[in-house]
Amino acid sequence: MRILLVEDEAPLRETLAARLKREGFAVDTASDGEEALFHGREVPFDIAVIDLGLPKLSGMDVVKGLRDAGQKFPILILTARSSWQDKVEGLKYGADDYLVKPFHVEELLARINALLRRAAGWSKPSLECGPVKLDLAAQKVSINDEPAELTSYEYKVLEYLMLHAGDLVSKADLTEHIYQQDFDRDSNVLEVFVGRLRKKLDPDGSLKPIETVRGRGYRFAIPRNE
Amino acid sequence: MTSMRRALSLHARQLIAASLGLIAFLGLTGVALDQAFRSTLVDTMEMRMARYADVFWNELEFDRKGRLIVKDIDNLPDARFNNYRSGLYAQIQTAKGDWQSESVALFSLPELQDAGKVRTPELSGPLQLPVGEDSSIGAYRYTATAEFETRKGPVVATLRIYESEQEIFRQVAGFRRSLWAYLGIAGALLTLVQVFILRWSLQPLRGLEHELSALQEGRVQRLGRQYPTELHPIANSINALLDSERGNLELSRNTLADLAHSLKTPLAVLQSQLENHADPERFREEVYSQIQRMNDIVSYQLSRAARSGHALYSAPIGILPHAESIVSSLEKIYKSKGVLCEFEIDPKSQFSGEMGDLQELLGNFLENAFKWAKQRVLLTARPLFQPAAKRPGLYLCIEDDGDGIAPEDISKILQRGVRGDERVQGHGIGMAIVQDIIQSYGGELSVDRSSELGGARFTITLPSLS
Repeated sequence: MRILLVEDEAPLRETLAARLKREGFAVDTASDGEEALFHGREVPFDIAVIDLGLPKLSGMDVVKGLRDAGQKFPILILTARSSWQDKVEGLKYGADDYLVKPFHVEELLARINALLRRAAGWSKPSLECGPVKLDLAAQKVSINDEPAELTSYEYKVLEYLMLHAGDLVSKADLTEHIYQQDFDRDSNVLEVFVGRLRKKLDPDGSLKPIETVRGRGYRFAIPRNE
Repeated sequence: MTSMRRALSLHARQLIAASLGLIAFLGLTGVALDQAFRSTLVDTMEMRMARYADVFWNELEFDRKGRLIVKDIDNLPDARFNNYRSGLYAQIQTAKGDWQSESVALFSLPELQDAGKVRTPELSGPLQLPVGEDSSIGAYRYTATAEFETRKGPVVATLRIYESEQEIFRQVAGFRRSLWAYLGIAGALLTLVQVFILRWSLQPLRGLEHELSALQEGRVQRLGRQYPTELHPIANSINALLDSERGNLELSRNTLADLAHSLKTPLAVLQSQLENHADPERFREEVYSQIQRMNDIVSYQLSRAARSGHALYSAPIGILPHAESIVSSLEKIYKSKGVLCEFEIDPKSQFSGEMGDLQELLGNFLENAFKWAKQRVLLTARPLFQPAAKRPGLYLCIEDDGDGIAPEDISKILQRGVRGDERVQGHGIGMAIVQDIIQSYGGELSVDRSSELGGARFTITLPSLS
């Protein structure tokens, strides 16, 4: 998952970025409104977390600017102002949720996961396709209630494919959303991950969860349970 | 206070208006009296002239030849007829000869045309009477005729008496002198009385001014005098404003003090933990919980500070637009839950208070309802009318179809600062905030089970303002 984190307070930005990376996100950071708007317009993020009090361009203007530019990814705003007037205003301009400072990082992660699920059309907290169940909050995968042991990159690939279960996901898309800007993008590595995933999810070859669409990409083929 | 152009004082306005009225009244009175006096003088003159004429007719005789004779000129009614240029002249003309009084002597009175005609007595003038070569005087002329039987038949005699205006002028001038003197005195007296009346009637205003400046200097706390009916509402409004300002000041002072004091406890806890070299894991937990506590304190006091806490002068706010904007925000946040929020809002319902307070009330209760509801939330609002109240009160009810609140938990929820649900951020503090708001409007909050939806029902009643 590729996330845009916009926060001008350096210690908070760095702590949050480190935590999000540990949670498996590809994190891009910005420290002012203009930088945020520039990144947000150019890169196909999965989600953005934007502080409202920013230098150069206010967070509210960034949200408006992104929506005006046609970006549809979910936006969560962070604000120190807790009055309902401020909340209503922020959501009116195109944000999808808000979090009042100070907050627990767990709360932020839960909100981010909820927004990601919602944006991909999932309403329950875990993604379920046939016997495969992926818990976004716990980052655990199970098949027929048997836990599957995945490496973090394997998990990331599966998470992205399952979120968009039923849709075609191009290799380029997958790479974009899994790696950070400056990461080595070798599509062979991706193929290796997908190969290992198939073995782990479907050792006897009966389930066929991930379909390869030749020359175009992958599709998670088991239909959603809901 | 200095303004570019200060408005004319009430005192000056009244004084100018009344003085102009007085001047006009006294002036017109003077002119009318003057005219009346003048016409009285002329009337008196006419009567006098008629008496003179009677005397002349008695003194008039015709001799055997039918010639005119005035018998005894010393017996004339006024000595001035015999004094040269005295200003009183008589002239008698008949077909049988003319006569002039001694006073005429060196000039001649104008000749009378058609002397034989019988006329009714009349006084005319003032007209110009030539006296001598090239001088003339203004004079009144009395003309009367009488018929005499003579041996030679009847003769018509015409009498003309001229009297100079000088006498009238003199009398009028004398009258005017005393008239204007009296009017002047009356005017001065009336002005004095007026000034006194003005001071007396503006005295309450002056009193108000004094009390206000005493208020500014801090010598008094509120306006305490008895003011006349016209000033009573003003004094009352000023007092109400003062009370609410004082209340606000008190509130912000208390808020600040509460904030400072209540932050000291968590700080003390942290300090003691730090100094006690507590176990790192426990210390971490303690820091967490104290941060949470400080955050709650700050949010709660911030919301209190943002409120003015009185509804005295704020315009009433419609419920529907605010409810709609808050619900559309909540629908966004709780999109995946698919909660349906229904309104039963009487269009006449309004909130008499700060807009921020209404948003906090609606926001906190509705968010709570969205959080606990399975599918449905119902918001009901209607006005509470009361006779003689200036503004209606408000009945607000928020219900959901969730699990509701156990009766034993209701009192816990209503206790300020107790958190009904530790998992969800900001819940407990929201409850404390709305209770504070409701209390500041003198309203009431009750919690029970919704008969319609089966979940929790929060009912808020805000009293009407009189």
